[in-house]
Amino acid sequence: MPDWVSGHALLLPTTIVFLFLLIIPLLVVLQYSVAHRSIYKPIVFSWSHLHLANYTQALNAEFLPTFIRSIAYALTATFLCVLLGFPLAYWIARFGGRLRLFYIVLVIIPFLTSYLIRIYAWQFILQNNGLLSNLMDHVGLGANHDFTNTHFAVILGLTYGFLPFMILPLYASIDRMDKSLVEASYDLGHGKASTLFRVTIPAVSPGLVAGILLVFIPAVGDFVTADLLGGVRTQMFGQIVDGQFLESNNWPLGSAMSILLTLFILIGVFFYLWRVGDEAL
Amino acid sequence: MSDPDRVSLAFIWDTASPRFNRRSFVKTMAFASAAGFVAACGGSSNKSSGSSSGTTSTATEAKVLNFYNWTDYIAPDTIPNFQKETGIKVTYDNYSSNDELFAKLTAGATGYDLIVPTDATLVKMKHGNLLQTIDHSLIPNITNLDDRFRNTAFDPGNQYSIPWQWGTTGIGYDKTKVQGTVDDWNAFKLPSVNQKSSYLDEARDAFAMALFALHLDPNTTNDSDLDQAKSYLIDLKKTIKKITSDYQDPLKSGALILCQAYSGDVFTIQTDNKNIEYVIPKSGAFSWVDNMAIPKGAPHPKNAMMFMNYMLEPKVGAALTNSVNYGSPNKAAFPYIDKSITSNPLIYPPAAVLAKLPFQKDIGEAEQKYDDRWTDVKAA
Repeated sequence: MPDWVSGHALLLPTTIVFLFLLIIPLLVVLQYSVAHRSIYKPIVFSWSHLHLANYTQALNAEFLPTFIRSIAYALTATFLCVLLGFPLAYWIARFGGRLRLFYIVLVIIPFLTSYLIRIYAWQFILQNNGLLSNLMDHVGLGANHDFTNTHFAVILGLTYGFLPFMILPLYASIDRMDKSLVEASYDLGHGKASTLFRVTIPAVSPGLVAGILLVFIPAVGDFVTADLLGGVRTQMFGQIVDGQFLESNNWPLGSAMSILLTLFILIGVFFYLWRVGDEAL
Repeated sequence: MSDPDRVSLAFIWDTASPRFNRRSFVKTMAFASAAGFVAACGGSSNKSSGSSSGTTSTATEAKVLNFYNWTDYIAPDTIPNFQKETGIKVTYDNYSSNDELFAKLTAGATGYDLIVPTDATLVKMKHGNLLQTIDHSLIPNITNLDDRFRNTAFDPGNQYSIPWQWGTTGIGYDKTKVQGTVDDWNAFKLPSVNQKSSYLDEARDAFAMALFALHLDPNTTNDSDLDQAKSYLIDLKKTIKKITSDYQDPLKSGALILCQAYSGDVFTIQTDNKNIEYVIPKSGAFSWVDNMAIPKGAPHPKNAMMFMNYMLEPKVGAALTNSVNYGSPNKAAFPYIDKSITSNPLIYPPAAVLAKLPFQKDIGEAEQKYDDRWTDVKAA
């Protein structure tokens, strides 16, 4: 077998996985999005009667506030993840010493527990007469605080849930970064802040970009966090999509919404990558 | 729990940790779609091996029963005793609303043998050809059913179903925290319940609340009636906290103080928190019957019918009602049901009250009118 063949054979397993677990399901969603619904069968599809009205219904202005809210939540959570994740990743990579790997394991440890259970734990902490409310009572800040059903609670949940996805790629980037660049910057008369923004951040931007995408994309489509920590005023778009499948029995509309959300995110991501430039990766 | 190692994991989680309830469980299942895939494969391979080897229709079934029921809707010993008696291993999963059950069933083979849809959903499933008929010769205890449940409009002659429990959809509230009279749906507008109330995450139930409050037909298919109800629900969203069917724990703990609720749930909460009261709203409410039924393509229909027969035993039926506090359709169970339940007018309402408690009607394709408006309500 020539080398170039055996080389490309490495792609075979992922190609198969991609085809069957991503491409084909995505095509099915696309097919569903132009199908009809019925009360007794979720999908009625025929080539001669493509139902494009699902898309006009999905673009209904009534969903716009929820859509904007989802984007705002995800952006805020991503920003907070950078704010919290960068110093930690930097500290582990630069000052973690021989225990670096141990600290990374600590970052990963929450993954050993189901996300759902961890969000329920937040519910206990944030709810009326919850941990936080009782704590505030003890230090004289008044009793009966309820933090659930607020923007704060949902953004907190998203930030908490996706923080490790920011820390890990950032850590990898910072760890690989050439330390002498920082020293050179100091030698050339730059201060700490200037070095951070003009040397360190550009040097670790691949990790930063990866982290931002890894946090923003799942956060914008998330529905469990807002469902458990939020209420009627914190509805996210993912919940509306979820509802089309599990409640309203309108799979075509749910599929059309999913396609539109995917397109929106794809365009957003391409735009973002185009702005930050290829060299960042 | 007398014999816990014979009870499936889902069952242990459900009873040991009520916090991990209906809706969240379904969500976990959504995450563990791989598990569902495996289960589906298991189900279909079971069936194919059955048809290839089984030459007669009486081929014995594997000693397994996959039971899909509402959360907190069973006596602690119902399943362990059945397993002990029959040697059939029960897998017990939960759902939180009829909408969810129906969505799951229409999506294809679920592997479930026994489900407990409410009357209107049962009719919808019958029309959708999603259920199989039951064989009364395998359910001799059917004679224990109260006459009222032998020939219902939703399933004449019990062709498809055996009633499980019945009740009403009213209001549960904390009498120490709500200031003002709670006797009708307008209690949601009391200032003292602002941001501390919830209505059900089930389209027809939520709309029924609005339609009753507006003195309109709760089974209406009239667009302008439904638009009014939609506005009512959207307006109410400003002062409620949550749209949820998982109100039991929050109501018990005080996180919610007034909820649209199923009667028996509230009576169950009462055993832990004496301040919780149930009320049947003056302007009317839905009453309903939940029924055991067998989905088409269920891998173990005979085991399901054996379970139906078991539930109709007097003491088993009584234990269920004593535990979940709903009305029992099982006449033979009556002598064993606690007097506090049989004499409670909120569980067994007098005829005059019952007259104001209609059943939910199956409205066919018009259901989509509710679905669409429900999506708007949720998104608003």
